[in-house]
Amino acid sequence: MHLHRYEKIWLTFGIGSLLVFLIVLGVGAFYQGTQPPSCLVTLDPENVQAHESFKDENLGVQQIGENEYVVNILASAFNYNFGKDEAGVPVRKIRIPKGANVIFQATTTDVVHGFQIAGTNVNMMLEPGYISDYETTLNNVGEFTIVCNEYCGVGHHMMTAVLEVYEP
Amino acid sequence: MAKVLKGQQPSNAHDEKEPELKGTFISVMAIGVFIIVAWIGAFSLFLSR
Repeated sequence: MHLHRYEKIWLTFGIGSLLVFLIVLGVGAFYQGTQPPSCLVTLDPENVQAHESFKDENLGVQQIGENEYVVNILASAFNYNFGKDEAGVPVRKIRIPKGANVIFQATTTDVVHGFQIAGTNVNMMLEPGYISDYETTLNNVGEFTIVCNEYCGVGHHMMTAVLEVYEP
Repeated sequence: MAKVLKGQQPSNAHDEKEPELKGTFISVMAIGVFIIVAWIGAFSLFLSR
């Protein structure tokens, strides 16, 4: 079969880049263990309190190691529940030290919500009955807005919170 | 079919004028480069955050 010289070049280029992208995907999935945020960990959406992570006292930022934190979040229309502070006031702003290893664990009690920390890689869909989690290290100091990016109802645009990453 | 002239080998059919593919080549490579640059851009944004 006769192929034009240019055809040979672009076929090599096309098949080569396909292989490169597939290898990148394979390394990410099988070697580094990258998964979707919601990876089939289930709970009863009508009784999320039955799950240890989403009991009232466990919501919000929990320190689990020297530089390791878990943040448990319960989303519902149109609020992110991070628990209450010492005065009994609902927490609207969470604080994490820079460079700490953080696992965000979230679920929803009603409809599908989003959990995006704008300006970071944390961006998950929260589905009823599933726990979404994302492990990350926050290396940029500042205040970041947490927003719902899945339309969840009339109050969707007001469903926000704040994450502050501070210099330890 | 190329005309087979006296004294020429019939295998010279390949000497038939090849189609002009320069424009196609440039278009294909431009799309390829665009895809790769866009991918590198998104990936570096992911790494920097």
